[in-house]
Amino acid sequence: MNATAQAIAAASAVPLQVRSLTHRYESKVVLDHVDLALEPGSVLGLIGRNGAGKSTLIRAMLGLLEPESGDALVFGEPALKLSDTAKERLGYVPQQPDALAWLTAAQMFDYLSRFYPRWDHRFVKDTMQRWKIEADKVMAKLSPGERQRVDLVRALAPQPELLVLDEPASALDPVARRELLREIALRAGEAGATVLFSTHIVSDLERVASDIAFLHDGRLLLHCPVDETKERYARLWLPANVAAAAPGSPLGKRRHEDGSLSVIVECDANGAWPEASRLPGARVDTLGLEDLFVEIAE
Amino acid sequence: MDASLLTIQPASAEPIYRQIVEQLRRLIAGGQLPPGELLPSVRDVAGFHAVNPMTVSRAYSLAESEGLLERLRGKGMAVATTRKTSQTQTQRMALLEPQLSALARQARELELPAGPVVQRLSKLMGE
Repeated sequence: MNATAQAIAAASAVPLQVRSLTHRYESKVVLDHVDLALEPGSVLGLIGRNGAGKSTLIRAMLGLLEPESGDALVFGEPALKLSDTAKERLGYVPQQPDALAWLTAAQMFDYLSRFYPRWDHRFVKDTMQRWKIEADKVMAKLSPGERQRVDLVRALAPQPELLVLDEPASALDPVARRELLREIALRAGEAGATVLFSTHIVSDLERVASDIAFLHDGRLLLHCPVDETKERYARLWLPANVAAAAPGSPLGKRRHEDGSLSVIVECDANGAWPEASRLPGARVDTLGLEDLFVEIAE
Repeated sequence: MDASLLTIQPASAEPIYRQIVEQLRRLIAGGQLPPGELLPSVRDVAGFHAVNPMTVSRAYSLAESEGLLERLRGKGMAVATTRKTSQTQTQRMALLEPQLSALARQARELELPAGPVVQRLSKLMGE
């Protein structure tokens, strides 16, 4: 392959991909053979309970952590040996940003802008003003919410093609969260950026994510488009007398104290729910993502 | 039409693109959106409601394929003019079908016979 062909292949490569990623902290398995790939232009919401392995997965995907086994690729390159070109196309906001805390935001922006040819000075100025953050204050003295927003501005300013946000909304108030979501949504739509963000706040994800991945106990339980998730899965409730006829479900089954049963079911290609939904007393409830998440994670 | 005319409930079990199509259907059937009325751009709707622009595009395309909307060259989407403004009673009735099914289910769960339920419904509708 000549250099041009290689460049084209790299540019069109899947922005982010992991294959059979496994990782342990001491003896505890935190990632168990995770396979995941992001389509260009998609917005993937990674959801899971605290401690489900979200941050570990993100860090391994970006090569910030060497997994025990498996591959992580960024724009087709091994994450652990990323070229500068690939790094320029990537923006990452860690859960608790603390880098360069002795600088003011203005100093940090000025310093970093020299490394990025596509640095958007106007965006930085407008956003800092809109968010009313003092650019001349040492970052260590900012509130956690302000610090997180400064880091978002820092990550968005180089106009990255791939944006990775680890719990980006955790320190933000509802108004700032909504602004962040708007920014994510429009970046993905107009600039065609690919976005991965982790959260345990499901409503954030429902607004802007095109796809959703459920991480539970280090395993990826579900990965599909948000709309399809809502249309394809439901909760089937069976009263005690017919509970024995419940279909098997890999996703979640809960027996209640009175002997009744809730089970997550999937509709077939024609949109029909399993046979058991027509049993006397049976009820099918369509679910929002939050309910589905609770059913699966419990 | 302004983007604020739409209401979006992200937590609903109904996907957002369907919520948009259903609202357009009702607004058009009810005459609030007359034929030829321009729709807000995908960007405006996505920005106003902080939702994914692809979701809005999907809703518009679906509404277009159902004949609710038409794409005007260089102007974006508008309420279709080719379609009859007032729909037949059957068409309008079909829009109520999900709510009626839900009502019927709840009435059965409460072991209520149809008679009094229909009577009450007639009264609520002012007949």
